[in-house]
Amino acid sequence: MMFAAVAIGLPLPIINLIASVIYYFVNRKKSRFIHFHCLQALLTQIPTTVINWVAVIWAVTIFFTERTTTEIFWAYVIFAGASTFLYFVISLVAAYKARQGKMYYFLFFGNIAYQAVYKVKASDNTQSTEPVNKPPF
Amino acid sequence: MGNRIIRDLVILLAIAGVLFVGGYFMVLEINKSDLEISYQVSIEQEEKLGDMLKDVMVSDYKVIEGNLADSAVQEITNRLLAAIDSTPYRYEIKIIQNENINAFTIPGGNIYILSGLIEAADSPEEVAAVLAHEIGHAEKRHVVTKLMKDMSMTAIVSILSGGDPSVITEVLQSMVGNKFNREQEMEADKFALQLMEDAHIPPKALARFFERLNDKELDYNENLEILMTHPHNSKRIDQARKYKTRNNFKAETFNFDWEKVQKSLE
Repeated sequence: MMFAAVAIGLPLPIINLIASVIYYFVNRKKSRFIHFHCLQALLTQIPTTVINWVAVIWAVTIFFTERTTTEIFWAYVIFAGASTFLYFVISLVAAYKARQGKMYYFLFFGNIAYQAVYKVKASDNTQSTEPVNKPPF
Repeated sequence: MGNRIIRDLVILLAIAGVLFVGGYFMVLEINKSDLEISYQVSIEQEEKLGDMLKDVMVSDYKVIEGNLADSAVQEITNRLLAAIDSTPYRYEIKIIQNENINAFTIPGGNIYILSGLIEAADSPEEVAAVLAHEIGHAEKRHVVTKLMKDMSMTAIVSILSGGDPSVITEVLQSMVGNKFNREQEMEADKFALQLMEDAHIPPKALARFFERLNDKELDYNENLEILMTHPHNSKRIDQARKYKTRNNFKAETFNFDWEKVQKSLE
């Protein structure tokens, strides 16, 4: 799923986000474990999409206006490329761990997703809210 | 818990910052190597290459010599060159019979100005601005850098050792349709503004010429290198317009009748 989204999403970064949203809503009710990983994937997809969209819009703007690029623009392109690559690598590790039934936490987004999925609410009557393993905090 | 999230966010932002700053330094490093690229071709090699291209130029285009316009351009050039402390080039500036508003530089300090540009210029100062800009490209070795990026060193060496004439023509075509990058254009403008000031020519002439081109007052060739390929180049116009001359700057006008100079091209 992720690989297909990345391949399609390279020219149009919004595709990745749409794929993550669909994936999240389709799978979130399956189990807390899956819910957590889907939400974490969706949350991490948001900044990645924004970063890549800025690069695309910036490039298109340059094409239709000055047609010359600046050092800052290229620095941003490198930053966007490196961020996406880093995200891709971390996603691979996450996918591998999830496949093994282990939880994997992205920096920052892992905590937020954990809080959203595993937080015990007052209205919750279920006893089995504890995950197999907790996030690193 | 909240602190952990903030800490994580700070770490994430720090990583993003490092990636961006790292990318910026990488770009700077690549750009810096432009000059290093140009150093692979010596001035002697560049002059030799320039001589070969010059021969093709002379045979392919009509060079205007010996008239009032030619002597005016030489006078403008002499004034500009006298203001340069030292230069590795022996500059040769020629007028080519062509109605387009353009000027270009080929290796070895050979600059060609089209008659259309002289006819379109409001004053000798505007022509001086264009020439100063072209001299800037030569002095900053933009021409060689571009050539080295477009072709390999092996191809250049092959040309120098009496290579294929079709390659020489190809090189020449690439020089005529020169498109430098924005940084190089800005650098050449900056050089031109300083040189004009040192030569007692009002630097504002560069901005004036740009503005007239930008307002489409002049029906210029869209490949006009001096304004690049697109009219929305306000940063360059701004740079030229905002250039501050020294307090004691005193402009010295050229002693020739510009209308007569232009008529000598007809």
